[in-house]
Amino acid sequence: MDKKTKTIALCGKGGVGKTSVSALMIKNLAGRKDMKILAIDADPAVGLCTALGIGIKKTVDDIRNDLISTIKKGESQDKTATLNMLDYELFDALTQHNNLALLAIGRPESEGCFCRVNALLKDIIQDLAGNFDVVLIDGEAGVEQINRRVMKTVDHLIAISDTSAKGMNVARTIKHLAFDNQAVNYKNMGMILNRVRDQQEVKIIREHIPIDLLGWLPEDDLIREFDFHSRSFLDFPDAATAHRTVDSIIRNLQI
Amino acid sequence: MPRNVCDINELRMDLFENTFDVLKDYAEKRSAAAAIFSADANDWPSGAGRNVVLSDDMAVELGSPQTASTSVLLWTENPGRVRDGRITLIGPDIGTSADRSLPFGKVVLVCVSGFNEDNIYERYKEMEAVRYAMDLKGYMMRAASQYQREWSRISREALQNGFSFTVLGGALRNGYLKKDYIHAVEFLFVTSDIADVNELGDITRKVSRTINAMDKMFSEMKSDCDECEYNDVCDEVSDLKKMRNARNKKRGE
Repeated sequence: MDKKTKTIALCGKGGVGKTSVSALMIKNLAGRKDMKILAIDADPAVGLCTALGIGIKKTVDDIRNDLISTIKKGESQDKTATLNMLDYELFDALTQHNNLALLAIGRPESEGCFCRVNALLKDIIQDLAGNFDVVLIDGEAGVEQINRRVMKTVDHLIAISDTSAKGMNVARTIKHLAFDNQAVNYKNMGMILNRVRDQQEVKIIREHIPIDLLGWLPEDDLIREFDFHSRSFLDFPDAATAHRTVDSIIRNLQI
Repeated sequence: MPRNVCDINELRMDLFENTFDVLKDYAEKRSAAAAIFSADANDWPSGAGRNVVLSDDMAVELGSPQTASTSVLLWTENPGRVRDGRITLIGPDIGTSADRSLPFGKVVLVCVSGFNEDNIYERYKEMEAVRYAMDLKGYMMRAASQYQREWSRISREALQNGFSFTVLGGALRNGYLKKDYIHAVEFLFVTSDIADVNELGDITRKVSRTINAMDKMFSEMKSDCDECEYNDVCDEVSDLKKMRNARNKKRGE
């Protein structure tokens, strides 16, 4: 492959503004017209699609459940033919907007263990991801879900947190799961603080949390307004402080 | 002395002879609207493994899930059935229609030799894999043999550089001819309208069912023919029936 795909996964406690930060990063990346961007909404709440104002036809879990019901019916499945069919279905599940494609993972509903199906889907997602310049995964707090349902390895694992003690604890847990328990393979890990009201908090957190601080976003009325009115973050103004901060973070990731 | 039906190595594996005839009639009926080309032998640049064409870059798409699509591959051991390198196109060529999305029918006819009960299934899978191995810059293909559908996209850049059915046919032909048991390859492409593609799908439905039956026969250790959803095809396609009997005998059933 000529170009190397960069993969970013964002994780964090619910309610810290993780999806808004993901959406701002995607808005920034999609502004680089020479790049192809794949956004993966891996949060079962499927909030990223809403934040980007992009509808979805079906999720990866819809595809997974269809395949599982076929297997339950006892229909024979040649592995190569199944992989090709999943690849077809997955591409059909992509919603495309200019140089941006969005894939929603959805919520697993089938009971029982279908590790083989998950493994096939993960292989296909990995293969698809290789066609893009940047892949951004909006995950949930449980970092192991990225490994289990999306892909095995990411370049940048980013914990999003507000300045609350609960948010910090979740960030520490993410680092523990990722580093000590090897719940997901990553090359670099960092943290972005969101909804900061007092710069002094940033200083204290930087001193006490053993995770690289990639940047911080202040409490922002414009982000709140976009959230409240369900406006697409793809329309977020380039000149806004939050956008410029996110731009700087992405450039520091050498993307 | 009558030939033992279980001596499968002596059989000619011509599973689709009737379909060849019906396809010939189908193309002849539309001959006034058809164009005949030769597959282009020139090399098209590689996509270097990046074959996704997003809608933003797309000049035209063929057989998307929103329109009609059908795609099959048929083989024969009868050399008179396949005109090597010939492309019959019913409908507009890539980029010559105002529509960015066209229905798509594709039939690949290949002339083969040396097929028998022991290799037919593996060889079918090898031939099926050829289209997925195409790595042409600006050409993306997704296909699901279970649905008999093929969906492709051609980028604006590829179209500007002259991508057409002769290029696609040429690249596919080169891929098939790398198999030493394939001696000739012919193509029928249909982009005229949904009705034409659906009719082609109806004609070739039995091909897919025959392949599904073969897939089941070779992938399942035991099968109850009375309960099988493909028993009508096995009963009708004589070579398939002989193949089934041979396999059953080998397994001691």
